[in-house]
Amino acid sequence: MRSFIYYVREFLRPEWIRKFFSVKTAPLETPTYFKDYPALTGKECTGCFSCMMICPAPGAIAVLRKKDEWEPEVYPGHCIRCGLCVEACPEGVLSSGRILDLTGHDRTTFASWYHLEVDDNLCMRCGNCCVSCPVNRQIDPQLAGTGTSASDEVIMRIEGGRVRILHEEKCTGCKTCEENCPNRAIRVARMVEGVHLEEAEA
Amino acid sequence: MSILQDIKNAVRSRSIHVAYVDVGSCNGCDIEVLACLAPRYDIEQYGIYVHNNPREADVLLVIGSVTPQWVDKLRDIWDKIPEPKVAVAIGNCPISGCVYARRGTLTSPPVEKYIPIAAQVPGCPPRPTEILNAILSVAPLIYKDYEEKQL
Repeated sequence: MRSFIYYVREFLRPEWIRKFFSVKTAPLETPTYFKDYPALTGKECTGCFSCMMICPAPGAIAVLRKKDEWEPEVYPGHCIRCGLCVEACPEGVLSSGRILDLTGHDRTTFASWYHLEVDDNLCMRCGNCCVSCPVNRQIDPQLAGTGTSASDEVIMRIEGGRVRILHEEKCTGCKTCEENCPNRAIRVARMVEGVHLEEAEA
Repeated sequence: MSILQDIKNAVRSRSIHVAYVDVGSCNGCDIEVLACLAPRYDIEQYGIYVHNNPREADVLLVIGSVTPQWVDKLRDIWDKIPEPKVAVAIGNCPISGCVYARRGTLTSPPVEKYIPIAAQVPGCPPRPTEILNAILSVAPLIYKDYEEKQL
């Protein structure tokens, strides 16, 4: 009986009743280290497109020409907030959370290039890839309709009845060759390698 | 009329019933919606209740890019929800298709093609606080003075 009275008294205290009806956990704040959408730091963008190249989400980032300078723009409906663009940018144009601090501390960066691969079983040697490639056309304007070329500087050319890739490092990753290949024999792969800089370089 | 409306407004602001439907995603956003129920975020302190039943729902959380099997079923679920109702797209998938918006996939985003969407919460996945904020900010816009707006 005494305990019952004790409980009734305890629960009739105005302070207890007030707390019972107005209880609320503290409003949640986003932590400072949260990797939000990349924001511009104000540094100058050189238009190297490293961010667009490394972005894994389709249509998430675009480097736009605004008057006289380049500026990356992030699209929230597409961006997955992985932060790879922040890490890949050599100029530090973008920032998100503490990625820049961490990469600066660990002296890590990315090296990336494009790898071209032709499946000889699917390729029918039409030369569409060599002809459509914008880099090829710039290097050798006289590139023949069959994809043969006299120049040794082109990315790829038809040589002895098959596609030979000469200068993979000149590829800009536009994938025009992939689109123009009737058999989807040529594939452009994006290669990325994590690099640990030496102390002197950093 | 206005007193009744005031009572309705007060009740509705503390009683938002939520159903969520995953129309084909990686389940990451489902986990974030479930995280809202956990004590850390505690969605029920704001008067939001997750029932997963369209017949008693006010808010439909749509997650995922739409797969062919969901095209007609999503419309069915939307029709079953009584008025006033609102749909919120959670995550990138219902907005753009996210990583599924590639050649060779069967999904057909955005979800606005199938049901009217009132709010979008971008993110892959969005934070639970972002989901909470979206529900809390879109619900009063739809439910406040709903009957008076109908007249």
